[in-house]
Amino acid sequence: MSGFAAVLRKDLRLELRSGESTLALLALSMLVLVVLVFALGAARVRSVDAAAGALWVAMVFAGMLGANRALLAERDNGAIRGLLLSPLDPSTLYAAKLCAAFIFMAVAEVGAVILMVLFFNLDFDASMARLAPILVLGAIGFSALATLLSAITGRTRGGDMLLPILVVPIFVPALIAGVKASAAALSGAPFESMGDWLKIMIAFDVLFVTAGYLLFEHVVGGD
Amino acid sequence: MGAHFGYLFAAYSIIFIVIFLYVMLIWRRQAALDAELRTLEARMAALTEHSAAGRPSEPRSGA
Amino acid sequence: MNNPTIRNWLGFSTLALMLVSLFMVFDYVPPDAEMGIAQLIFYFHVPLAWVAFASFGLVAIAGIFYLWLGDQLWDDLGYAAAETGMVFCTLVIVTGSIWAKPIWGTWWTWDSRLTMTFILWLMYGGYLMLRASADDTPQVARFGAVIGIVAAMDVPIVIVSVRMWRTIHPAVLVTKQGTHGLEDPRMVWTLLVSLTAFTLLWAWFLMLRFTQLRTRSRMAWLAGRIALATAVASDPK
Repeated sequence: MSGFAAVLRKDLRLELRSGESTLALLALSMLVLVVLVFALGAARVRSVDAAAGALWVAMVFAGMLGANRALLAERDNGAIRGLLLSPLDPSTLYAAKLCAAFIFMAVAEVGAVILMVLFFNLDFDASMARLAPILVLGAIGFSALATLLSAITGRTRGGDMLLPILVVPIFVPALIAGVKASAAALSGAPFESMGDWLKIMIAFDVLFVTAGYLLFEHVVGGD
Repeated sequence: MGAHFGYLFAAYSIIFIVIFLYVMLIWRRQAALDAELRTLEARMAALTEHSAAGRPSEPRSGA
Repeated sequence: MNNPTIRNWLGFSTLALMLVSLFMVFDYVPPDAEMGIAQLIFYFHVPLAWVAFASFGLVAIAGIFYLWLGDQLWDDLGYAAAETGMVFCTLVIVTGSIWAKPIWGTWWTWDSRLTMTFILWLMYGGYLMLRASADDTPQVARFGAVIGIVAAMDVPIVIVSVRMWRTIHPAVLVTKQGTHGLEDPRMVWTLLVSLTAFTLLWAWFLMLRFTQLRTRSRMAWLAGRIALATAVASDPK
C-alpha cells in the first residue's frame, strides 16, 4: 500500500508544481464546449440533451489528452523503466496511475460542468448533485480503460493517434449510459429513473478496473 | 424479377468481390513469404560454406 | 492445421458448397412474402455475422491462451482470427446496409444490432491498426492479447446498453414469441447450407492466414539464428 501512496503522491506533487495537465485538460474541455455551442447553434443550446452530450464529448477528449500526457511524462525521461525496476507490483502501479488519472479528470470535469452551466443557460441547482455520481462513475471507467490502453499505445509508433481509436469504441456503453443518465439528471428527473443506466456504468467500471488490475502486468512486464 | 433485384445483385456481388480480393491478398503475402524464405535459404547456404560449425539447428514448432 | 492436403480439400469443398448455397438462394428458396426479393440477402448476411462474431470470440480465447502459455502459436491464431473477422464483419455491415435501403428506406440507422456490429468493427479495426503500426515482437503480441480480451469483455455491456438505447432490427431466428420466423422448410435448409458454406470458408481463411503467420514467426526466429551464427563465424577470434 505504501508503494501505491508513493506513486500517487509523486504524480500529484508533479501536477501541483506545474499544473500542466489540469490546465491543458481544462482548456481542452472549454474549447470542446465552445466548438459545440457554435456547431449546434444558439437555438439547440437551450436543450438539456445537447448540454449532456457536450459535457461527455468534453470529458472524453480531455480524458484522452490526460492519459496521453501521463504516459508521455513517464516515457520521456525513462521514468517508467525506473518504476518497473522498483519492487513495485505492476497491479499496484496500475492502481496508483488509475487514481491519479481519475483525480485529474475529476478536476477537469468540475471545470467543464461549470462552463456547461454557463454556456448552455442552465442553473446551479439540485440537478448538479444528481449529476455528480454519474460523472464520477464515468471518470472511473474512462480512467481505468485509458490507463490500461495508454500503457499499450505509449509504447508503439503513432501511439497518441491509436489511443482514441482503441479507447472510444470500448468506452461506448459507458458513454451511452452516461449521456442518457446525465440528460435525465439535468432535466430534473428523479434518481430512480436512471437506475438502469447507472447499473450499466457500475458494471463497466467494475469490469474494467478489474481487467486493468489483472492485465496491466502483461502490458508493462517482460521488457 | 422483383423491383429490388439490383440490391440483391449488389449484395451478392460485393460478398464475392471482397472474398476474391482477400484471397488475392493472401496469395500476394504468400509470394512475399516465399521470396523471404529463399533469401534466408541463400544466407544459410553461404553460412554453411563459410563455417560448418555455425549452422543453426532446425527451428522447433513452438519457437 | 498445416497439412496442405486438408487445406486444399477445405478450399474445394468451400467452393462447391458456396455454389450450392448460391443456387439455393437464387433458384430454390421462395422469397419472403412481405419483404420480397431483398430478403434473400438474409441467407448470406446471417452466416457472415456468425463467422465474424466467432472470429472475434476466437481472438479473445487465443489472447487468454497467449498470456497464459506464452506460445507464439496463440498470437498467430489470434491475429489470423482478427483479420478474417474484420473481413466478414465489413461484409455483414455492407450487406445489412444494402438490405436496409429497400426495406427500411435508409442505408444506415442506429438500431441496436447495427450499432453493436459497428462498434465491434471499430474495436477490431483498432486492434489491426495497432498490429500494423508495430513490429511483431512478443510485447506487441501481449498488447494484442490484452486488447482482444478487453474488447470481448466489453461486448455483453455493449449489447445491453445499445438494446436499451434503441432496437428495430428484425428478430428472425428467435422471435419474441419464441419461435423462428422461417415458415417454409426450404428457407431453413437454405440457411443451414449457407451457414455450413461460410463456416468452411472461415476455417479455410483462418487456416491459410494462420499457416502464413506461423511461417513468418518461424522465419523471424531463423533469421535471428542466422544473424547470430554469421556474427560468430565472422569473428576473427
